[in-house]
Amino acid sequence: MGSSEKRSKDVMSDIPTFSGENLQKNLKVIQNSRTFLSIIAGVLAGIIGFNGLTGFVFYFVVMLITSVGLMAKAGFSADLYFDSWNRVLFDGFLGGLMSFVLFWTFAYDLVHIF
Amino acid sequence: MAEDLVLDTAIRDWVLIPLSVVMVLIGVLRYFVSKLMRSSPTPDAKMVKEGQVVIRARNLKAGANFIPPKSFRARRFYFSNEENGLLHVPKDQASNPQAQMFSDPNMAMDMMKKNLSMIIPQTLTFAWVNFFFSGFVAAKIPFPLTQRFRSMLQNGIDLSTVDVSYVSSRSWYFLNLFGLRGLFSLILGDENAIDDTQRMMQMGGFGFDASKSLSAEKDGLDIIQHEWALPRFEHRAESVLRKLVQ
Repeated sequence: MGSSEKRSKDVMSDIPTFSGENLQKNLKVIQNSRTFLSIIAGVLAGIIGFNGLTGFVFYFVVMLITSVGLMAKAGFSADLYFDSWNRVLFDGFLGGLMSFVLFWTFAYDLVHIF
Repeated sequence: MAEDLVLDTAIRDWVLIPLSVVMVLIGVLRYFVSKLMRSSPTPDAKMVKEGQVVIRARNLKAGANFIPPKSFRARRFYFSNEENGLLHVPKDQASNPQAQMFSDPNMAMDMMKKNLSMIIPQTLTFAWVNFFFSGFVAAKIPFPLTQRFRSMLQNGIDLSTVDVSYVSSRSWYFLNLFGLRGLFSLILGDENAIDDTQRMMQMGGFGFDASKSLSAEKDGLDIIQHEWALPRFEHRAESVLRKLVQ
């Protein structure tokens, strides 16, 4: 979405129309932000020293914060920028999980075990 | 069982970090190599024609609701007409795509090159890890796992009383393999981000199967119900113009 907000849906006509290219760009933005934040969350979780289930809860909390942030950027009307609400809220959850675990393990080991 | 093993700092310096750095570098290298090696095959005229016909049919499907019903029907007839419609493939001509693909040397070479560029670095790195970094505890996973994972994760370690969270370097390699995908998609830009696992998943359904895709497009076109989306566009144009003028 960025500085030039691109609307990918035109709701003025009776049948909603999508601009494919804008939609793709917006999805890319979501994916990038989620990946970046999951890496940072992993490093944070490792430094703080979360263990077990707490770490996963932390990951989901960060993902929720990401969703809220993205929604706020989209002006709370996901209809204009995406084809469905689910994309903004839940896309890329599991993709970021592996990166999160990697960086969590890494930071945890660096700080606590060695 | 909650004793915290204290591991040698040398392990961190000489195992964890080099392994991650090497994997990142190999990923970047592989990206550039695949970019360089991407040969542009001379396209076959017939296949390009068929590809373009499919694209036209898809565009028609996508924009079907924006043209008047009659023109849509005329276009659809042009495509799926029984005698000389573009998408209609006579039954006896449906060639066997698999045989065609393997007898075409260019495509086979391309596929082999792609497979090799993906498999070789992985295999080499895995062998390297196994040779140098086996037999000791490399890292601790921050979350507990069941005993079933012990044989998978603790491969070089022969003590059975060590907590399953302490893993060998082989599992650190696999963890890196999956976790660095996200990092690659950030640093390598938007294309070609995920190579590995996605390509492995895509290898199952390959084949630019001309006849099947043509008949699939034809069926898709036949199914469409035309819904005229701009019946009141004069009114809409009028309201837009009014807004502009005011």
